[in-house]
Amino acid sequence: MKTQLAMVIDSSSCLDCKACMVSCKVENKVPEGYWRNWVKQRKPRFGDMPSPGNFGKVNGYGDPGSMHFQPGGCMHCANPTCVQACPTGATYRDEKDGTIRVNDKLCIGCACCIPACPYGARYRHPEKKIVDKCDFCAKRREWGELPACVVTCPTKARTFGNINDPESDAALLMKENKTVRVINQKTDTEPNMYYVSMTAPADWPRKAESPAPIRWWASLAKPLVWAVVGLNTLGIMVMFGKQLLIKDEEPET
Amino acid sequence: MSDEQIRRHTPVTIFIHWFNAFCWFFLLATGLGLIGNEQLQPMVGTWWPNMMRIIFGSGEMLLVLHIICGIVWTLVFLIYAVFGAKQYVIPFLKEILAVVPSRDIMWLITKQIQMTMGYKALGRIGKIFGFDMKIPDQSFYNVGQKLFAVPSILGGIVIVTTGIIMALSNVCITNTSLVQWSILIHFVTVGFVFAGLLIHIFMASIAIGERPAFISMFTGTVPAEYAKHHHKLWYDEVKGKLDV
Repeated sequence: MKTQLAMVIDSSSCLDCKACMVSCKVENKVPEGYWRNWVKQRKPRFGDMPSPGNFGKVNGYGDPGSMHFQPGGCMHCANPTCVQACPTGATYRDEKDGTIRVNDKLCIGCACCIPACPYGARYRHPEKKIVDKCDFCAKRREWGELPACVVTCPTKARTFGNINDPESDAALLMKENKTVRVINQKTDTEPNMYYVSMTAPADWPRKAESPAPIRWWASLAKPLVWAVVGLNTLGIMVMFGKQLLIKDEEPET
Repeated sequence: MSDEQIRRHTPVTIFIHWFNAFCWFFLLATGLGLIGNEQLQPMVGTWWPNMMRIIFGSGEMLLVLHIICGIVWTLVFLIYAVFGAKQYVIPFLKEILAVVPSRDIMWLITKQIQMTMGYKALGRIGKIFGFDMKIPDQSFYNVGQKLFAVPSILGGIVIVTTGIIMALSNVCITNTSLVQWSILIHFVTVGFVFAGLLIHIFMASIAIGERPAFISMFTGTVPAEYAKHHHKLWYDEVKGKLDV
C-alpha cells in the first residue's frame, strides 16, 4: 500500500505552550509575522455575570464549555484544493509519501493557492515572494528525523507516521481510538490530520475557493480559446477541402 | 518578362519574420508545457506538460527557458522598433492600418466565398444578388493579412506586458491579483493570436497560389506576375515608380 504520511493529534493533551510553533519557526526559518503551524483555542463561554438587570436572561449559569487547545498545520489533504488552484504544478502531491509540497523553483508566487486552502495553511513569503507552508519537515525526514513540532511537544500531543503502515505509531493510535477531522462542510478536502476522540474548535475552516482568474480559466477562457481555434481550424479544413475538390480558375475578364 | 522579380522583403524583415516564428514556436511549446494543471491545460490530459518536463529535465528549467526566450524576443523587437522605426516599422504600420472600408468589406465577402466555394460559385452568388462579385484589388497587404497583423501586434504587446508581470512576480511584485489576472490574460491572448497563426501557416504552406509569397520569405522577391495578381495596387505603385 502507498505511503501516506499523516499526523494523529490528541488535542486534549495540548497545553497551548506553543513550543511546536516555535520549533517549526526556527527549523524552517519562517519569517516574522508568519507561521506554518498553529494552536487554536476554544474559549469557555462564561457569559455576563447575573445582575438585577439581566437576571434570568443571560446564560451565566449555562454550560460554559471547557477550554480546549487544538494544534494544527497543513493537513496534506487527499483532495487538495490548493493543487487544483496552482496553474503550473508548483504545488503538487508527492506520490512517494502523500504529502503536499511546493516546488519553490517553479512557484512564481501568484498566490492562487492561498484562498484555495480552507485552513489558511499557506502564506506568501515576504522576501522570497513565493508560497510557503508545512512540508512535514522534509529536510528532517531525509535525515530520518521526525518533524520538529512532533519531537518538541512536551506532552506528545502530535503523533506522526505512515498511516498505511499498520505497525506505525500513528496507525496504531488511529486503530485504538475513534478519530475525527476538522473540515469545512462545503469543501471537504479529506485532510490527513486526525484528532483523537474529539477536538475543538471545529467551525473555523473557510470554504476553499480558487481566485476568479483560475475559476474563469477553466469555465470561460478555455472554452473561448477552443472555440476560436476550432472555428479557424474548421475554416482551414473547408478551404483545403475546396482546394482538393474544385479546380478553381479565375475567369478571364 | 514572365521571369521578372519584384523585391518584397529586405534581409532585415526576413530575419525578423523567422526570428519571430522561432520564438513563437518555442514560447508556445514551453508555455503550454508550463500549464501543468489538468483543469487549465487546453490540450486533453497532461501528456504535453509531462513530455516537455521530461525533454527539458524539469518544470523549473521550462520556466527559466520560457522567460529567457521571452526576454530575447522582446529585446530584439525593441531594437527593431527603435532602430528600424523609420525604415521598417512605421511604413509597416501605415500599410497594415490603411483601411478602405468599402473595398475591404467587399474583399472579405468575395474572398471568403472564393476560398471556400470557388470563382464559379462567386459568380453565381453575384448574379443572384445583382452584384459584380469581383475581388477588389489589394495593396502591399490584403485585408486578411491586415486583420492578422493588427491583432498580432496588439496581442504581442499584451503578451509581453503580462509576461513581464509574471516574471517579476517573485522578484518585486506584492499585488498578487495583478499576477493572477496576468496569467489568464496571457493565456487567452496567446490562444487568440495562435488561432490566426493557423490560417497564416495554412496560407503559406498549403494554399494554392500563395507559394511565391512563401518563397519570398527566403529570397525576398516575388514574381511580377504574382504581385500583379495578388497585390495589384502595390504592383502599380512599384511600376509607376520605376517608370518615373
